[in-house]
Amino acid sequence: MQKFFLGVDIGSLYTKLVVINSNCVIVHSDIFKTMARNNKRDDVIDQVINQFKVDYTCSTGYGRKLLKAADLIKTELYCASAGVTQLNPIDKTIIDIGGEDIKLLKSDKNGKVVDFYMNSKCAAGTGAFITEVAERAELDVLDMSRLAAKSTSDKELNSFCTVFAKTEIMKWIFDDTSDEDLAKGIYISIANRIQKIPTDNSLPVYLIGGVAQYHPYLQNIIGEKFNVRVTIPEKPQLINAFGAACIAQKSFVNHLNPEP
Amino acid sequence: MYEIAASALLKEVMNNYFQDLKTRSKPLAWCTSVGPAELLRSFGFDVYFPENHGALLGATRKAMDYIPVASKIGYPSDICSYLTSDIGSHIQKSTPLTKHYGLDAQPIPDLIVYNTNQCREVQDWFSYFANQYKCPILGIVPPRHMDEVKQADIDNVSSQFKSLIPECERVSGNKFDIDQFRETLRLSKEATLLWKKTLETSIQTPAPISFFDATIHMGPIVVLRGTETAKAYYKVLSDELELNVKNKVGFLPKETSRIYWEGMPIWGRLRFLSDLFAQHHSAVVASTYCNSWIFDDFDERTPFESSALAYTKIFINRSERAKLTILKDLINDFRITGVIFHEAKTCFNNSNSRFGMPAKLKEETGVETLIIEGDLCDLRFFSEEQSTIKIETLLEQISS
Repeated sequence: MQKFFLGVDIGSLYTKLVVINSNCVIVHSDIFKTMARNNKRDDVIDQVINQFKVDYTCSTGYGRKLLKAADLIKTELYCASAGVTQLNPIDKTIIDIGGEDIKLLKSDKNGKVVDFYMNSKCAAGTGAFITEVAERAELDVLDMSRLAAKSTSDKELNSFCTVFAKTEIMKWIFDDTSDEDLAKGIYISIANRIQKIPTDNSLPVYLIGGVAQYHPYLQNIIGEKFNVRVTIPEKPQLINAFGAACIAQKSFVNHLNPEP
Repeated sequence: MYEIAASALLKEVMNNYFQDLKTRSKPLAWCTSVGPAELLRSFGFDVYFPENHGALLGATRKAMDYIPVASKIGYPSDICSYLTSDIGSHIQKSTPLTKHYGLDAQPIPDLIVYNTNQCREVQDWFSYFANQYKCPILGIVPPRHMDEVKQADIDNVSSQFKSLIPECERVSGNKFDIDQFRETLRLSKEATLLWKKTLETSIQTPAPISFFDATIHMGPIVVLRGTETAKAYYKVLSDELELNVKNKVGFLPKETSRIYWEGMPIWGRLRFLSDLFAQHHSAVVASTYCNSWIFDDFDERTPFESSALAYTKIFINRSERAKLTILKDLINDFRITGVIFHEAKTCFNNSNSRFGMPAKLKEETGVETLIIEGDLCDLRFFSEEQSTIKIETLLEQISS
């Protein structure tokens, strides 16, 4: 009988879930708003567990400890490492840009987290930063990558503070900066933020998370800044949930066959 | 549930200390926590430590009410939060000492003495109060950030200690008595060695005292150094913990990792952090902070020189190279598997993560290191959720 494993990533803005089979192939996925007061989250998850007769569940993300159905709980960093390693079992750097944080980790070919960094003082350079600044610039966030690709500007926002960055972008608008240059400037400021974090430039970079999903032009900017090959895997927003499902699958096997 | 029985005695000892300050039967000196307390006691002063008040303001989470008050008069919230919360508390005429020990306010000093071996901030902090109370103030300004403490440095600090004598005699009304100083130093050394013994019980597995518990039990070694009371307390505590070691009783039934805490405690989140590590069977067994009150160089035969050496040699006053060596030794002794560097926003001097130390330590020992941002008192600089993810990832790293 086929076995199924569930990974649930309860993020600050969205909850992502992935069901895989014993071969780590995705058979189902879903994304919906997390909203703490939204009962839909538990209902949807229960429905999926029943539908697939899920054997083992791993939860991750900010709300990882909320999921009653979880058999195990892992941090997003470990799930990111497990997910990307399942797709590409090599030494690598993973940059996960989420709604309210940036996580950067060095992961080995076996999925071990060798080193990691995470912002904890300020949310500059995260999804929330893009949304706030783009709103002030009157840009459609989903159109920013297309616009930025047309820009030849290298103008960048100096401020790391989201509020001050909004003030700065107003000055750009007063100076008649084009939408294309505004979009690229916002992306450059995110890349600058990431560039401060120590990284091993000999390793390929995998860009994951919701921001990578909706802002693929970041791949170009980060590639240029770091002088490395940057890959955005298919469905980057689901990688952590996928990694959680992979961990559930491996843990289930270990659970059935404990070491003597 | 694991409990340290000596905690009841600790409460009594600390309460008695504050009641003595309340009765004002002796002249009172304020002193920095790693200052020349023994010399002051030898003149018959009771000694009060504003840093202890800072820790209380942090632990009771009252600091955040007082810091903005100090900011308004020119002490901004990104300088030492002991300083800002203490000054704010003074201006507001409100202190947790009232609830905990029945004191209306911090006891008014007859003399204020500081030692900048930890930081220059104490000089400005104490000067504010000297001005408020129109009280004489004296300072020791040792050489800083030392690779090693040389004879010339000892001579320098020793001579500064001696220069305190005339004013101490004037304010206390007592002549300096070298034998009294020797006796105070002897008592201080005995207490400090018992404190060392207490901390070193956690070299064993299961460890009988955590870093978080040690930050509470260190009260007497800070405020009562040089007294029989401190010595007696640490005899009781170390005996109890040694018995626990013998009986294989520890604060965690199972240890899956052994953590070293580098930097200041986050006073307002001790319980939260203690519970977080315990949930993951992770034992936080050693720290720079608690080790900073071990002064094994005290020698009653050479009281000035040996206290000059002991107070100048403290971890916070050393070079990055010397600090690295000290940390490596402690990691080895306590069989540490992970090091947390607390980067305290308002305590630059006691945050050792800013000059590449975590990476160097990991490279030279193979032990995982992590930096978490926070503060000793101001919890607005501490993100609970972000820090939890970081700590849990570190523990996953160690166990994988």
